[in-house]
Amino acid sequence: MKMTHLAVTTALVLAPLAAAAQEQLSLYNWGDYINPEVLEAFTKETGIEVTLDSYGSNEEMLAKIQAGATGYDIVFPSVHMHDIMFQLGLLAKTDIGASPDFKNIDPQFVRAKTDPNAEYCLPYAWGNVGIVYNKALAGDIKSWKDFFALGAEGKKITLLDDLRETIGIGLIMNGKSVNSTDPDEVTAAADYIVEHLDGVTAFTYDSVPQVISGDVAAAHWYVGANLFVSENPDTIGYIIPEEGATMYQEDICVLESAPHKENAKKFLEFYLKPEIAALNVKQQMNGTPNVPAQKLIPEEIASNGTIYPPQDVMDKLQIFEDLGRDLQLYNSEWTRIKTAQ
Amino acid sequence: MTLARRKLLQLVGLLGAPTVFLLFFFLCPLLIMLVYSFLTPGLYGGVEWQFSHLNYGRILGWANTRYEKFDPVFLSIFLRSLRLAALTVVTSLLVSYPAAFWISRMSPGRRDFAIFLVTLPFFVSLIVRLFAWVLILRPTGVLNQGLMGIGLTSEPIEFLYSDFAVILGMTYVFIPFMFLPLYASIEKLDVAQLEASSDLGATRFQTFRKVVLPATMPGIIGGGIITFIPALGNFIVPSVLGGAKVLMIGNLIEQQFLSARNWPFGSALAMLVMTAVLVLLVVQLRLARREEAS
Repeated sequence: MKMTHLAVTTALVLAPLAAAAQEQLSLYNWGDYINPEVLEAFTKETGIEVTLDSYGSNEEMLAKIQAGATGYDIVFPSVHMHDIMFQLGLLAKTDIGASPDFKNIDPQFVRAKTDPNAEYCLPYAWGNVGIVYNKALAGDIKSWKDFFALGAEGKKITLLDDLRETIGIGLIMNGKSVNSTDPDEVTAAADYIVEHLDGVTAFTYDSVPQVISGDVAAAHWYVGANLFVSENPDTIGYIIPEEGATMYQEDICVLESAPHKENAKKFLEFYLKPEIAALNVKQQMNGTPNVPAQKLIPEEIASNGTIYPPQDVMDKLQIFEDLGRDLQLYNSEWTRIKTAQ
Repeated sequence: MTLARRKLLQLVGLLGAPTVFLLFFFLCPLLIMLVYSFLTPGLYGGVEWQFSHLNYGRILGWANTRYEKFDPVFLSIFLRSLRLAALTVVTSLLVSYPAAFWISRMSPGRRDFAIFLVTLPFFVSLIVRLFAWVLILRPTGVLNQGLMGIGLTSEPIEFLYSDFAVILGMTYVFIPFMFLPLYASIEKLDVAQLEASSDLGATRFQTFRKVVLPATMPGIIGGGIITFIPALGNFIVPSVLGGAKVLMIGNLIEQQFLSARNWPFGSALAMLVMTAVLVLLVVQLRLARREEAS
């Protein structure tokens, strides 16, 4: 009797451990780029334990995966990095595009050129890069022109410490593609930025607190600024500049080296559910390619024209493509911009 | 076992581990870097095994292709880095020298506590400490509010995102590096020598110049070098406090490896820094030898 008791206890103690050892999923994502409640809901439904690590840039993630970091199942690359990782043979085929719920995804978001039928990755989220501004200092600005005019007036502005985003503004202002590989166009775009450096006090990602405190009048920043706008609606605002802006999109991809491919596929299918995509948007305040999900998200997010822009504004948003070696054209100009003052 | 053999074994035992360590963690990476600096960049980071001298050509003047063009800006960033690192050495010396004197004259208990205080910042992440400086230096920050509060200034001064902020930040970060070797040589200073000097009629300045300064020179040179080298390659301080506008060679190297995916060019720039450091070490060796001779 005593023996049985012990055996039962042991079995009870060890069973969850054994389950945990089998049922795991390891995500490698940008910092703060998924609602923790989504992961909790996934674990609740499937019993699969989820671990989450984070990275700061596409390049950092790629470098780690290339250097042989193993143990990760799912990564969240931007579209151009999705293409690169495909070409490097780092992605696993999932056939997610053939899942019945894939009909929820707006086809315009299946963007990666190397994956036109979503055989590998699932479009995750998207947003734009515009201007966050201090209402008292910047007034009612609407465009990049207004933004740089603040600098010329002696007010302070900041740009992102990102070569393609910042040179991208120059390309947009000159009416060119942000994926231009014409050396003259890239030089002209860099010239535009150099000519408008008055008042640019820093190239930084750490801008929103300074816009709120009034140290900076306006900053080149992401649509995620809406999160801070909702907390300080009287102090700051966010706009998509009239001339156009860049947009970004990340996809959910399964790695070829993933130790838990089946669980990863389950996660992709789980994320196709409208209520799950909506749950993520509720906290992330970004765009989802999931059409039925857009009806489930809070009204103030759905009606925010900077998060879900009308089609005419959408048409003015450009997404970055991988430039291959031509990235070096931007690299030299970027050094010139940063040393111009 | 003969004595000579035992001595040899002892030597191997003592030097073996550090030699292997240096070989693997210092010499190997350095050689990889040197080899990479003569290769062609891979499309997505990494390298292609194809010889190229253009990485150096971009810095020194002979490259002129679509992707590799000579630009004097790289050398001027390098010169600026040398200047900022040298200024950091000077300012941290000016702060550490009197502080080391003061602390060396304290009672043993207070002295240990003071040295503990000097090293205390190492317990907190560098990034956190630098962001604290952002809060202090920014226009609505503590420093400007204080200055305006006591009526010294009427408008906020642009401390943040300037050469000033970068040198201040680097001085702050590297003071312990300067302080500890300085303290070691100042603590050894023989008070009797100072007394003898003034007994023999030297003024305080003469005593300082002829007795104190030569005696503490090893500490000054040691601290100077140990501060200069990491200051030259630093990229976090210029990025946070300089707003990435006060570009230093470290930022440029970081950019090549991460956002620009040009490892060979980054390696060539790193070799430039290595060369500067080597030259400096050779000069120090010469100085030390001359001192020993005299």
